[in-house]
Amino acid sequence: MSRSPSVLPELAPLPWLYPYREDPYATRLGGPVFRPFVEISLAHGGESTTVLDGLVDTGADAILASDLLAEQLGIDLSDHEGETPHAVGGRVLTARYKTISLRLHSGDAEVSAYREREAQVGFVQGWHSYSFVLLGSVGFLDRWTVTASRFAQAVAVEDRDVFDERFGTILST
Amino acid sequence: MEPIRTDFKGYEGQFVAMDARTGKIVIADKDPRVALKKAKGRNHVVFRGRVPYPNEPIPVGLA
Repeated sequence: MSRSPSVLPELAPLPWLYPYREDPYATRLGGPVFRPFVEISLAHGGESTTVLDGLVDTGADAILASDLLAEQLGIDLSDHEGETPHAVGGRVLTARYKTISLRLHSGDAEVSAYREREAQVGFVQGWHSYSFVLLGSVGFLDRWTVTASRFAQAVAVEDRDVFDERFGTILST
Repeated sequence: MEPIRTDFKGYEGQFVAMDARTGKIVIADKDPRVALKKAKGRNHVVFRGRVPYPNEPIPVGLA
């Protein structure tokens, strides 16, 4: 796993903060829907995607993404590392996994301001609905300490060791 | 921190990208490949996805 702390020396220090963003789906009980999105992009073999909204989902085990993004990166998904069915939003989706680079961008979506980690991403065929990337535990929440507060209406992302520094080491390996 | 608000009216069925600082939609196209291409390399522009039509159900996770 790559643990390079940063790609560019002039990066703002962590934590990086991301305000909740309004979701375009119809209102819930008359109020707008806000979700915890962070700005990310995917990179592989010298290619990269545009900056994308990634939905932080602590209930998801993996990173899932539209296969359209694999197409943008020139990834041949027939050469995958494994495939797994997932139940998402009431549907069963099959994800084909590839290890690529996941770039976390600062909250103002500066293209060149990012921190990069390797991650195994499950690409899902025909997943072209709202938001193209779901950020789950393996590949995202195990790389960063993420605090989401609907009260503060923001997400804070820090180095993953910050959790242990703040709360003590819970899991010994 | 104030959440980022976006006015999605008029963009139903289209794939959109917005200015990350203001929430204003700056790119919209019915073809996701075209919208992604237009957004590529633009500072402060974040691709969001497809705007649903009214009365589409709110997904849990992504659907």
